[in-house]
Amino acid sequence: MIPVEYYVALSAVLFTIGGIGFLTRRNVIATLMSIEIMLNAVNVAFVAFNRNRTEAHTGQIFGFFLIAAEAAEVAVGLAIVLSLFRIRRTVRSDEADLLKN
Amino acid sequence: MKDFLSLFPANDFSLIAVVMALPLLGAFVNGVFGRRLGKDAVRLMTLAVTGASFAAAIATFIALDSAVALTKTTEMVSEHGGAAHEVVKHGHAKLAWTAWEWMRTSGVRDATIPIELKFSVDALSGVMLLVVTGVGFLIHVYSTSYMEKDKAYWRFFCYLNLFVFSMLVLILADNLPVLFIGWEGVGLCSYLLIGFWYEKSPNATAGKKAFIANRIGDFGLLCGMFLLVYYTGALDWTGIANGAQNLVNPADGAQVHLWPIGGGQFQDTMIGGLRIPLSWLQPNKAWTITGATAVSIAVFLGCTGKSAQLPLYVWLPDAMAGPTPVSALIHAATMVTAGVYLICRLSFVFVMSPAVMMIIAFTGALTALYAAAIALTQNDIKKVLAYSTVSQLGFMFLGVGVGAFTAGFFHVFTHAFFKACLFLGAGSVIHSMHVRVHDDERAQDMRNMGGLRKFMPLTFGTFVASTLAIIGFPLTSGFFSKDEILAHALVNTPVNPFAERLTARHIEVWQPAPWMNWMLWSMGILAATLTAFYMCRAVFMTFFGDFRGWTIGRPSQVLSKSAAHGHDDHGDDDHDHVEDLSTPSAPPAESPRAITIPLIILATAAIVGGLFNPGMLKLLSEHFTFLPMDNWLEPVFEEASKGVHYPEVHTLHSREWLSTGGAFLAFAVGTYAAYWMYILQKGKHEAGYMSSVTKLAAGFSGIIFVVLGGVIIALSPKEAFTPHMIVPWLLVAGGGYLGYHCVKERAVGLDYVYDHSIVVGVDALADTAASVDQGVVDFVIARLTALVVAALGTLLRVVQNGVVHVYAGMMVLGLAVVGWFFVQPHAEASVSDLGNGDYVINASPGTGYGYRWYPDAKGAAQNEKFSAMDTLKVHLDEGTTKTVKLEVHNAFSNALDMPIVKWIFPPSPVKEFTLTRPKVEKPVKLELGER
Repeated sequence: MIPVEYYVALSAVLFTIGGIGFLTRRNVIATLMSIEIMLNAVNVAFVAFNRNRTEAHTGQIFGFFLIAAEAAEVAVGLAIVLSLFRIRRTVRSDEADLLKN
Repeated sequence: MKDFLSLFPANDFSLIAVVMALPLLGAFVNGVFGRRLGKDAVRLMTLAVTGASFAAAIATFIALDSAVALTKTTEMVSEHGGAAHEVVKHGHAKLAWTAWEWMRTSGVRDATIPIELKFSVDALSGVMLLVVTGVGFLIHVYSTSYMEKDKAYWRFFCYLNLFVFSMLVLILADNLPVLFIGWEGVGLCSYLLIGFWYEKSPNATAGKKAFIANRIGDFGLLCGMFLLVYYTGALDWTGIANGAQNLVNPADGAQVHLWPIGGGQFQDTMIGGLRIPLSWLQPNKAWTITGATAVSIAVFLGCTGKSAQLPLYVWLPDAMAGPTPVSALIHAATMVTAGVYLICRLSFVFVMSPAVMMIIAFTGALTALYAAAIALTQNDIKKVLAYSTVSQLGFMFLGVGVGAFTAGFFHVFTHAFFKACLFLGAGSVIHSMHVRVHDDERAQDMRNMGGLRKFMPLTFGTFVASTLAIIGFPLTSGFFSKDEILAHALVNTPVNPFAERLTARHIEVWQPAPWMNWMLWSMGILAATLTAFYMCRAVFMTFFGDFRGWTIGRPSQVLSKSAAHGHDDHGDDDHDHVEDLSTPSAPPAESPRAITIPLIILATAAIVGGLFNPGMLKLLSEHFTFLPMDNWLEPVFEEASKGVHYPEVHTLHSREWLSTGGAFLAFAVGTYAAYWMYILQKGKHEAGYMSSVTKLAAGFSGIIFVVLGGVIIALSPKEAFTPHMIVPWLLVAGGGYLGYHCVKERAVGLDYVYDHSIVVGVDALADTAASVDQGVVDFVIARLTALVVAALGTLLRVVQNGVVHVYAGMMVLGLAVVGWFFVQPHAEASVSDLGNGDYVINASPGTGYGYRWYPDAKGAAQNEKFSAMDTLKVHLDEGTTKTVKLEVHNAFSNALDMPIVKWIFPPSPVKEFTLTRPKVEKPVKLELGER
């Protein structure tokens, strides 16, 4: 059996990739994708930790909920991206600085 | 009658509530709904409630009369060795009604003093009740017409009804706190009504002035209440009377210390080598006054404020800014007499302090004279009446001050009629003068009047009738009441009712000197003379001669015959028509019936009101006993009458004759002088007269201080030239300078003095405060804070650049710091003492952390393995100390054996705990006798 540490390490690597992508990419679509990667990293960790606990399935159920939440989030996020594009004619997040100052 | 009394028993006489509640209802309805209801409804409401209140007051009075009748006793008295004759006496009857218990206050020696919202009516308040509701009703009728055109009609009647309610609370109160509610209530209504036309700044200022002057007096009244609770342990009239003799307790602890305050010691102090002499501030013997004196002087201060006496009279003349019916009701007939009422109410307290009685009498006499002197200089008809009111109030205080409470109160009674009538008459005149001129000031100026007798005969007749009363025309009401006061001023000597008992114990008791009677009396006679002069001057200038108002202006609109021109158009005075002033237009005309009928009723009362107490007639016949007011009030002042001494019969009679003669002479001289000047000479000496009386009245301000200092010096002639009499001498000198200065400046009245002393001081204080506010608060504190905040904001604004990534980056950074803080192991523990030297130490639990205990800091670990829930048990002997060690690591330390992780999260933070068991001292048994 693959030890849980490997999964955690994978999760950490995925989360870091997602985080770096979120912080560095300027395209809002790419940003959303990075968020997805981070959330999936969390999912991996949840499921992996749950394997050690045979008496409960909390982690797996949590994983399902997260997948549902991700789907909703992507739907809303893409809608925001679309309306941002309508207003600013761009999907670059550094040009969407309406909140400045 | 019997049924009536069974419906309203004496101790639950709820009819009083009806009397009071009706005007309150009127005030509520007019105030809340009046604007929407319209003028007719407001008029109906206000007249209905005051009329019904008057009717209920009459019913109350009848019930009171029958209650008094139950206390009647008949006894045989033989006077001067003559034949015995029957004398009917009656006791003190009181009808009371308790609303609810208001609060309880604690007195000395842990006594609880209940303060009830209780109202009662007795002989004294019964008369006041009739005057307030009766005269009040007439003035309400008058106002419905006088205020006809005012846009704030409803507001006026709301205030006026509220005033009647407050005044009723004041006179019907059974204890001082409830009286104080009414006292403040009338003050509030007075303020509201003086500033009724608040769009004009002087009116609003006059209102504020009245309010502030009254606050000074109220301070005194409050102090008096506190002292009364302390000394008598009660605040209701009966309770105060029961505990009153504590007020003259001669024991040192029962006295009020004037100086040094609080028994402090003044020693010479040394600052460096400098010796500051302070010991001279310490008198050989503490200056003390009795409780009675302290209470009386404090309450009297309240009365000077409310009743416009020296030194607080200044608000009353300014109060004439209010509508004329207000001046008649509040500032002449009712509210300003509240002070006299209060002194009558607490007469048994006041007589215990003859010194304060004399202070009251002198204040009254001086005010009477001073205000009369100022009235000579006034050209505004309302101002003349205002100063006349101050002067007449002075007479009342002179009366009560010499212990003639009935006489003083009788003057309140008669004054209510004739002064209300005079004010209403003046209002009627002003009302019709508004046909000619819009400007308030010019419409009230007597120099613009003259000859009005032809145009308004009813107003003229009633005005003259009440003038005859005030100047003391024989057999009018004013003649009897004023004569009574003057006669008593000459014969009465207030003495402490406990004087004999105190003297027997070798305690010094102050007694007024005989010269004081003569001085008071001559001041009174002089004031009466001036009264006759200035009132006749007002009558002659207003009603006689030719109308001088043809050329002063023209109305802004053509008017019908009736004087339908009210006080409505304040604020549009700027359109005085300057063109073609010589063309005669509408003449002044008689006022409508709603104005003249109250005038006629009041004038009749002013003429015949004296019949209620024609005391002077007693001089003509020894068997003359028709003195209804005297008999009626006798039980109220029974206690107080013990504090008044009269000379023996022969002197008494001759002095009373002298006084009556003097009073008549005063009337005759004053009247003739005015007649000579304004009728015979047709006022051609007016300019010279004005100049000289202004000088006279101006000089008077200084004379007050000279008299004040002089009286203090005269009271202790032996010490007149000792150093501690410096204050009265300064008063004399300062008064002299002040008088000279005021004459030079033609400054009449104390307003000038106040403006140049108190007001200047307060202004300076305000300026200082303002500059501190601007310099320190605004500049240093406010600006500095703003600067710091602005700098911080500039700094933070750089980060707030609107780019989502930067925000996300900061979020990550923040989370990392928080996460680090939580993941970083913290070696924290709590110690619990099990007793007997056993201690258990728990490390704070936390998932993922492991603990390892070292029972001895230098020794080995308790368990080699780190565990999540490890505790350490330690036993200590008494007085010993032990140091234990705790080592913590976290999950990362377990999982990742990497240098970077070890660097970020130090593997095993260690903390040492020192446990100490204190040595318990065994209690040593004390031997008896040892300390």
